[in-house]
Amino acid sequence: MSLISLTHIVKTYRTGDETLHVLKDVNLTVNTGEFLAIMGPSGSGKSTMMNIMGLLDNFDAGVYTLNNQDVTHLNENQRAHVRNKEIGFVFQSFNLMPRMTLLENVALPMVYAGIGRGERKDRAADALTQVGLGDRVDHQPNEISGGQMQRVAIARAIVNRPAVIMADEPTGNLDSHTSLEIVRIFQELNAAGTTIVMVTHEPDIAQYAKRIVSFRDGIVQKDEPVANPPQLFSQEVSS
Amino acid sequence: MTLLESFKMALDAIRANKMRSFLTMLGNIIGIAAVIAILAIGNGATTRITGTFNDLGATTVSLSVSNNASNDEQITDQDLQAIKNTDDRVTAISPNYTLSGFAAASGDEKTALIFGGSPDLQRTSNVMDPSLVSGRYFTQADYDESAPVAVISADGAKSLFNNQTNIVGKMMTLRSRTTSISVRIIGVTKSTADKFQGAVRRNSFPVYVAIPYSTMKLVSINAGGITDVTIKARSRNDITAVSQNTVRLLETRHDVVGQQLYTARNYLSALDQVDNVLTLFVEFIAAVAAIALVVGGIGVMNIMLVSVTERTREIGTRKALGATTRDIMIQFLTEAVILSLIGGIIGLMLGIIVAESVAAALAITATITWQAIVLVLVFASAVGIFFGIYPARKAAKLNPIEALRYE
Repeated sequence: MSLISLTHIVKTYRTGDETLHVLKDVNLTVNTGEFLAIMGPSGSGKSTMMNIMGLLDNFDAGVYTLNNQDVTHLNENQRAHVRNKEIGFVFQSFNLMPRMTLLENVALPMVYAGIGRGERKDRAADALTQVGLGDRVDHQPNEISGGQMQRVAIARAIVNRPAVIMADEPTGNLDSHTSLEIVRIFQELNAAGTTIVMVTHEPDIAQYAKRIVSFRDGIVQKDEPVANPPQLFSQEVSS
Repeated sequence: MTLLESFKMALDAIRANKMRSFLTMLGNIIGIAAVIAILAIGNGATTRITGTFNDLGATTVSLSVSNNASNDEQITDQDLQAIKNTDDRVTAISPNYTLSGFAAASGDEKTALIFGGSPDLQRTSNVMDPSLVSGRYFTQADYDESAPVAVISADGAKSLFNNQTNIVGKMMTLRSRTTSISVRIIGVTKSTADKFQGAVRRNSFPVYVAIPYSTMKLVSINAGGITDVTIKARSRNDITAVSQNTVRLLETRHDVVGQQLYTARNYLSALDQVDNVLTLFVEFIAAVAAIALVVGGIGVMNIMLVSVTERTREIGTRKALGATTRDIMIQFLTEAVILSLIGGIIGLMLGIIVAESVAAALAITATITWQAIVLVLVFASAVGIFFGIYPARKAAKLNPIEALRYE
């Protein structure tokens, strides 16, 4: 069943006299349970596509359906609610709130969802345990490593039980060993049923996804499944 | 997001930049402290001055004769009687003559203020307390006979007679620069210092003595025809009418209508003037303080704009996580209001401390009203909202992608 459906998406930027066609009639469907990697050189349109999918950016033409809801014409506040409910973001530079504890950081999306303090605390602690940081709830972001910060960001992304996690270059600021740790957590979450869309320019990272979509000059150049992606986790541990 | 959440977020943000937040609050602290202190001191001063005027006789009319008046035109005892008999708003009337002289009993001679008047002096005097501790006041008979009798204030008696009690009937000597007479003490009034509690230093009082004006003529060569009279009216509202009536009556009796030989003065206009000056003063300072508050508000706006710029990425992240425009708006507005309000509260406390210290030094009571406190806190919040709206809107309107990309 298709979770994300983008049809005939067109996006252009106008800078002065020039018109830049960033996305030229792009179609993309993501099904529930998929682990999709979006690749492409810079300027290919992959980041714009990600922003549109994340309801952070507008598009000029086309239709976007997310989780059976037409989200093409939502206003800013409606989009904020959909982002809060349906999408979990993971950013390249983690984007944690520096003065909040890890627990408060993870609980933040629930603050905007209007969830009560007690439930927020419980669910945030659970999410942190899920990414292996259950013993660090009261730490501040500046007391942990980059890899750990990204794990906190993942906990924050899953805490509202979104339909999809959107990760924009999640390993861009991490060394190769730590990067694999993050990918392992994505694979675990995916195995447990979470849909994941990840933008990356590193083929080494993309190969762990189940499907790779390559962008070039504003169109989908390649869209193919990955045959037997290597598994970074043991099934026994995750279950 | 609830208000409590945004309140907590705002406090966290303020705590993260303590020094900067404090400097931002300083404008409000100074402005509000000034308002509170000035209002409290101004109110205290008004109360004190009004009180003093009431002590000095808000119901008193002072009557005087011009230097141009001939002997026939001086005020006579018959005039005083006539005024009292024809105007029932007049409760007491007495010549008013004060001699700066000396008094002596068994011991050393002391500086004395000697008042000469009719028996009504007991009630018209703005200095000596009318209540008698012992003995009696001098009577019309004493007055008519120029009897050598005197009434003395308790504190004066104490210093003249070395703390002896029971001095009624004892003799003392009253002296001007030229003459001296011996008088018998017939009454003692309550201590004068008590009447002016707090207003003047206690120990600076001379001996107060009251004698019939007819007797005064025996000790002072300057005392002759009556040139100054004090009238006590029934109430403050009668003052103006009594003043006009008395002057008209005197002019008629002496056949000098329209020559302006007699002047009646009262404290009402002086009291009004003092009120006006104080009100003007308080208003002026309040205006200066309001300017300080506006400057403080601009400081708040400035620092909030800096804060929004610094936290652009945080705002982008919050938006990505589901914060609505309203959530961001409320978060930054709350921060601005709390910044102003904390400044307001610190200023309030500082203002109270300053007011109390100044009031203690001036021997007045600082009056801090609930209305003033509420007004100040509402004003501080209003400044926060007014100057916080622009930065908060700016934050709320940020494009999430651009905000996330901001380095």
